[in-house]
Formats: sequence, structure tokens, C-alpha cells
Amino acid sequence: MAPRTVAPFGPQHPVLPEPIQLKITYEDEKVVDVVPAIGYGHRGIEKACELNEYPKNIYLCERICGICSCIHGISYCEVVERLWPIDVPPRAKYLRTIWSEMSRTHSHLLWLGLLADAFGFESMFMQFWRIREKVLDLLEMTTGQRVTQSISVVGGVRRDIDDEQKKKCIEVLREVRKESEALINVLANDYTVKARTVGKGVLTKEQAIALGCAGPHLRASGVKEDCRMQGLQAYGDLGFEPIVEKDGDCYARTLVRCRELLQAIDLQLEAFSKMPEGEIAVRPKGNPPANEAVYRAEQPRGEVFYYAKGNGTRNLERLRVRTPTYANIPSLLVMLPGCELPDVPVIVLSIDPCISCTER
Amino acid sequence: MPLMLPTVIRNFFGGYATRLYPFKDVREPFVRARGHIEFDENKCILCGNCARRCPAAAIEINKEKNELVFNAAHCIICEVCAEACNKDAIRVEPKWRAPFYSKPVEVHHPKGKEKAS
Amino acid sequence: MIENIKEIKKDELLAEVKKFADAKARFVTAVCNDLGDKLEVTYFFNMSPGMEMHGLRMTVGKDEEVPSTTGIFLTTVLIENEMKEMFGLKVKDIAIDFGGHMLLAQDSPVTPMLKTGAAGGKGGE
Repeated sequence: MAPRTVAPFGPQHPVLPEPIQLKITYEDEKVVDVVPAIGYGHRGIEKACELNEYPKNIYLCERICGICSCIHGISYCEVVERLWPIDVPPRAKYLRTIWSEMSRTHSHLLWLGLLADAFGFESMFMQFWRIREKVLDLLEMTTGQRVTQSISVVGGVRRDIDDEQKKKCIEVLREVRKESEALINVLANDYTVKARTVGKGVLTKEQAIALGCAGPHLRASGVKEDCRMQGLQAYGDLGFEPIVEKDGDCYARTLVRCRELLQAIDLQLEAFSKMPEGEIAVRPKGNPPANEAVYRAEQPRGEVFYYAKGNGTRNLERLRVRTPTYANIPSLLVMLPGCELPDVPVIVLSIDPCISCTER
Repeated sequence: MPLMLPTVIRNFFGGYATRLYPFKDVREPFVRARGHIEFDENKCILCGNCARRCPAAAIEINKEKNELVFNAAHCIICEVCAEACNKDAIRVEPKWRAPFYSKPVEVHHPKGKEKAS
Repeated sequence: MIENIKEIKKDELLAEVKKFADAKARFVTAVCNDLGDKLEVTYFFNMSPGMEMHGLRMTVGKDEEVPSTTGIFLTTVLIENEMKEMFGLKVKDIAIDFGGHMLLAQDSPVTPMLKTGAAGGKGGE
């Protein structure tokens, strides 16, 4: 038997934007065992949400994560609305959908860039991030800020998209779609990319369900599950169909995200064309009643789970957030053993880890 | 690599994708971007709506001293205070705040109440 | 109101979770609530394929031991460790036990999520 070495992967590693440590046991260059260690980014946001008044929590929840911040804010509002329950005006539902999909677009562009960076395709990384900049500009134009949009309030949204902005959005999104298609063609067909991703970190359908994976990671293994299938917000009107791949390797995960990126742009264009006129917000009456509610939304990284319990005061009794990476980390324990040392970064990145989300 | 070739050629002849920053100015912020907030001392009546709603507790109001203390470094520019203000005394400006070495603390002495009475 | 929640006793937990595992359900998460003198734990499962969610709810005393479900769903490792260190829920035999230091450090407050637990400062400060 070859001698075994234990080497840490992280918490500081070039492919990891955020700190997570994996204690990996190697036998020569083969991974035999993995133990994850988290806890570098815990901020106690769930406790802080109990101490804050409920309208202030929106801004706190948006800061759970930088990339999915828009959907965190929207999900928090949706779960608190379910305590009454409040019915949001149809235009606000469409606007929430548009901003959710816009943040999915920029998040997937970011991830595709990071993946290219993880296997050393630097110029591809730059190209994807260059396109992403246009989407961030759209977000700044429509919401007011690039990253923490703070666009949702309990009962609706805070800003409307006027016709001029709508025209500009449609124009830029078409451009983004065209440019992304050219790059996705490279990512999906280039033999160097395939050599690094095909057959790496395979997760079968049964394993994916047993490990409770979420999001693109789950759909790449052939499970047709997407929280947008619930038809909430405007997704019911838009004829949404989840994207599924069969192989469950890194290449399948890349393809799912590539196709979701294009689909997100299509959904936005369709939502713009179908958007009804009308109110954008209603005022909630009184404090959240003593009730409990659950809301699940599809973030770029997967399914986010919000649980809220009210007690009739301005503070919430309990708020629980389960983020997609929380569900995807255990799958690393199955995917990594058996792979080679150079494939570790690609496989770790293929779950799209977002650690500050996980630890809250 | 041949698949990447069209992109490479386009970049080669396509000119700059970025702004040549030190020689040319940065992009103007969008009209409704949230850059920083400004107080209008002539309109403020120290009602405290902004301080109560501020999620970052960046605004402190001291009615006895007739003072409004604003911690700019705490501010997350969420625009909640501007929406809460009944007197339009808080404006959100699109231009962002320049970087600073020490955390600025603005002390305002509002005169709105004297004017109203 | 949350739909499809079934109240169970502590002893039935493993048998009920096993039923979900046999039905090829996907574990979503667990939520722990502090009810004052007791803890309320709710396990959520998604019935794959589809988006239908079911829950199992049990109420246990603060000093009662709870069996670990990691033998059935490995993915509950993280949430059970979290409930153990945040609420002091006594879960025994977790597959990977972080010993109360998964999210919290050595000098962090103990069981901070309890209503009586330590809270540094008021909200927003």
C-alpha cells in the first residue's frame, strides 16, 4: 500500500473565492478520504434576524451572500408575506421574476468564468466576466446598485422599470445572449475543456437524491427538480421547463449552467413582453401574525429554503435559511474519493460553492 | 483552440473593452443609482423617522442638542431613510462617496422646526 | 400554516425517516425552534420528482437525547451538528461529529440560538 498523506485544500486556495477547508487524504495522487471543515464565515445572521425588526431584515438577508443577494431579499419578503398572507400585485411579481433571472444571468456568467479559471483557461475567464459587466450595469440602471440591489420590500418592490429602461434592457440582453452563445460553443465543444471535465466527479441520480443535492448540481444528474416549477411569481405564466442533463459529471454541470444562462435571458425577454401594468406594492397591515411559513426559491446555485415564524410583534420568532451549498457540500464526500489531485479544484468548483451563504 | 479563434480575432481588431481610466474619465453613474445620501438642514424637523427605520443604525438623533449625527461609514445606501422622510430632507445622489482614511461623521443642526414655527 | 406536517414521537423518528428514504425522497433541511422549556425539531423532505414537501415534527425536552438520522441520510450531518451547537440539542452518534465547533469557535458563546442565549448587542448595532 502506498503511503498516505493528508493535505489541506483551502481555506485559502486560488479557485476558492471564499474560505472552506477540505482535509484530503491522498494515496500517491489519488484522493481516498475527505473531511470538510467549515466555520470561517459564520456571522450569526439568523440570530440577528430575531433581534431586528422585520422590515430591517431584508437588508440583512441580502448580505447573506453577495452574488445571490437579490434572490435572498426577494425570498425573505415572500416568506414574510406568507405569514399574513399578503397577495403581491401582478406587476411586482413580474418585476421580481425579471430581477431574479437577471441575477441568475450574472451569477452563471461569473461561475462559467471561474470554471474556466479553475482549469487554466484564463482568456475565457476574462471574456465571460466582460459580458457579465453589461448585466451588472443593467442591474445598476434598474435597481440602483450593482450588487446589493435592495429592491424588494414586504408587499412588493420599490422601483418600477419604465419603458426607456425596458428598451435598453432588451437591447443589452440580446447582445449578451449573442456573445454568450459564441463562448458557450467553445466551452461545450473544445477538446481541452472536455479533457478536464468529462467523466470527472460523477454523481448518479440515486446518489444525488440520497445526498439531498440542490439546483443545477441535482439537475445535471438527471433529476427534474427546480423550484421555479412551483409556478410562483411569474414563472407559471412564462412556460418554464427545467433543464436536465443525464451524465452527472463536471461537463454535465457546465452544460446545465450554460443552457440555464441562455434560458434565463429568454425568460427575461418573455417577462418583459408579458409584463402587466399596475401597482408595484401593497402596504402590509400591522405586524406579522403568529404563524409559520416556508418558502423555496431557485437561486443560481440551487434551492434556497426560508422558514419564518412570527409572534405578532415587529420581530420574528425564528428565521431559518438553508442555502443551496449547505445541501451540496455532502456530495463532495462522495465525488472526491477516487479522483486525481489535479481534478480536485474543478470538482469542488463544479458545485458552485458559496461558503458565506452556507454559514450565514 | 480553433473554436476560440473567432473570438480572438474579434478581440484583436475590436478595440478596447475597458475605459482607459487614468487618461479618460470613469463612466457617469446612472440617473437613479444610489451613490450616497445628503441631508437638507433647512427642511429637517428632527422627527426621527429616518433613524427608526435605518437598518444599519447610521443615523442618530438628539433632540435636546438639536443634532442629527450621520455615520457615513455605517450607511448601506438602501434609500429607506429617503422614502421614510415626510419633509424630503434626505436626497439620494447618484455619485458615490470617495474613499476615506478615517470614518467620516457628519453632524447636522437642522433648522426646519424653527422655520415651521 | 405549513402543509403536510406530521407530528411524531422521538422514538418513531428513525422509522419515519426510513419510510422517506424508501420512497426515494430528498432531504431538504431541519428547523429547530426554542419553545421555552422544550425544543421543536421539524425535518423537511421533498418527494422526488416534483416539488411536494412533507415534514416530520417532534417536540423534545432540552435534556433528552435524540437519535441521529445520518445513518439513513448522510446529508443531515451538517444540520445535526448545527442544531447541536446552536440549540444544545443532544444528538447522539452523528456520522461526522464536529464536537460543537462546526460554525462556532473555541471562545464563541455557547448555544447562542436559544432565547436565553448570548446576543451581542441589539439588532442593527
